[in-house]
Amino acid sequence: MLAIDLFPLLYSLAVSLYRWWLPRPRDIRFVGVQNYWSLLTDPEVVRGTANSLVFMLGTVPLEFLAGLGMALLFAGRLAGAQALKTVILLPLFITPVVAAMMWRLLLHPDLGVVNYYLARLGLGRPLWLGTPALAMVSVILVDAWRTIPFMFLVIHAGLQALPREPYEAAAVDGATPVQVFWYVTLPLLRYLMLLAVLIRLMDALREFDTIFVLTGGGPGTATETIQLLNYRVFGLGHIGLANALSVLTLVFVALLCWALLRLIARRAW
Amino acid sequence: MVGRTRGGRGRTALVYACVAVILVWTLFPIYWLVTASLKTELLLYGTPPAWWFRPVLASYARVLFNIPFPSYFLNSLIVAAFTTVGSVVLGSLAAYGFARFTFRGSRALRFFILLTRMVPRVALVMPYFLMMLALGLLDTHVGLILAYVSFALPFSTWLMIGFFDEVPAELEEAAMVDGCSRLAALARVTLPLAAPGVVVAAIFAFLVSWNEFLFALILSGIRSKTLPVVIAGFNTDIGPLYSDMSAAATLVMIPNIVMTVFLQRHVARGLTFGAVQG
Repeated sequence: MLAIDLFPLLYSLAVSLYRWWLPRPRDIRFVGVQNYWSLLTDPEVVRGTANSLVFMLGTVPLEFLAGLGMALLFAGRLAGAQALKTVILLPLFITPVVAAMMWRLLLHPDLGVVNYYLARLGLGRPLWLGTPALAMVSVILVDAWRTIPFMFLVIHAGLQALPREPYEAAAVDGATPVQVFWYVTLPLLRYLMLLAVLIRLMDALREFDTIFVLTGGGPGTATETIQLLNYRVFGLGHIGLANALSVLTLVFVALLCWALLRLIARRAW
Repeated sequence: MVGRTRGGRGRTALVYACVAVILVWTLFPIYWLVTASLKTELLLYGTPPAWWFRPVLASYARVLFNIPFPSYFLNSLIVAAFTTVGSVVLGSLAAYGFARFTFRGSRALRFFILLTRMVPRVALVMPYFLMMLALGLLDTHVGLILAYVSFALPFSTWLMIGFFDEVPAELEEAAMVDGCSRLAALARVTLPLAAPGVVVAAIFAFLVSWNEFLFALILSGIRSKTLPVVIAGFNTDIGPLYSDMSAAATLVMIPNIVMTVFLQRHVARGLTFGAVQG
């Protein structure tokens, strides 16, 4: 396991120190940190990072709030809750590429069912995936469709594992539902929620499939996150540079991961 | 609890209205894809959107007979099956070691396994590509299986540790006193008791492989292409072929839906173990 997980990383690190462009296989030269230097000063990398952050900060809070809301909804008694839960989970396990194609069908500017009814309501036919700002919104929404169930599930499981006593005490004291949520549920679930959010932050930084299929990073570079930029650099044959970008992303994600581990360490379950 | 308070009726109605909204949001895209696959092209590309129509199987016929879809389906199945078996077997053995023995650095190693889940796939795809190139495993099932086992392994290991921890070690010891070797005790006593864990680990491993796109895109070619690459390939230069795509995508989705129904009971545990911890 060490071998198959660690070796690629070390290899990547080594390659990132070379100038290696596929069309010129004879001209592979050790250049040290030069790849990193040119990346850090590259406006495309800056824009890619910005896009990644916008995507991450768009999708994760949305998922969190929706997932939390759904979990609270399911905390009470609901008829058919078990079957409903199964249905709600579906998007999480559907192949991301399939999910993205599904949404392309819905959001098609001329043929899509969404735009047909928007036009009927006199709201025009927005180019969901064709205008820069809207494309980012669409990508975020589709990603949320796929991952809200994750938040729902984690928070739901947390809610079910909560001790009864604080709620009974709150009921005796005549607390309103809002007070119960704010002063009992939220503090008890704080760490679990933080964990779920951190995991999703890291996943959002690593997201590739959905964006690739929906927009391919476009229009132009409006939704080109670091991951898609990395893929493009690789596709152009800049092996050394692409690996350097991978290592940089990894460091970025590792920082988040470090925060996560500190969180686990502070509260060992 | 909530329903019995003052204004309970109105609140119940509100709750169910919310549930209805959630269901439409979740299910409508899936419903629309499946029905799209049953429409004629004329209906699919026509406006207004058709809600009632006579289903036809023309798209399925095209997908199944005009393109080598069945062989891609087989590719996906082969890769997913071997990934599942490989990661469950290796994961169980590794997890058994962690659950029953503490050795120098075993805690650190557990955390390292957890860390590997956090690595961005794009960061790994380049070294894998170069490694597979060197080993001559590009565009082979083996290459993809190796990559996917490495993805699924951390998860199955962490999941199985939790399940093994719950099987009392005394049971194994009793079996070993009766003459079983340690491996036989694991196979005959512990694994059957941890069977739900094995099932969950297997389903997750299957889905990892079935759903994976980026590595399949880069490591596979004509001979080993898997389904997500095929689906994405319906984005052609003349625009997406929605009719064929929707039929193919529906077929790809069937195993996912079946497995979600199976997983549903264990999924909270799977996610809190697998996602939250590893």
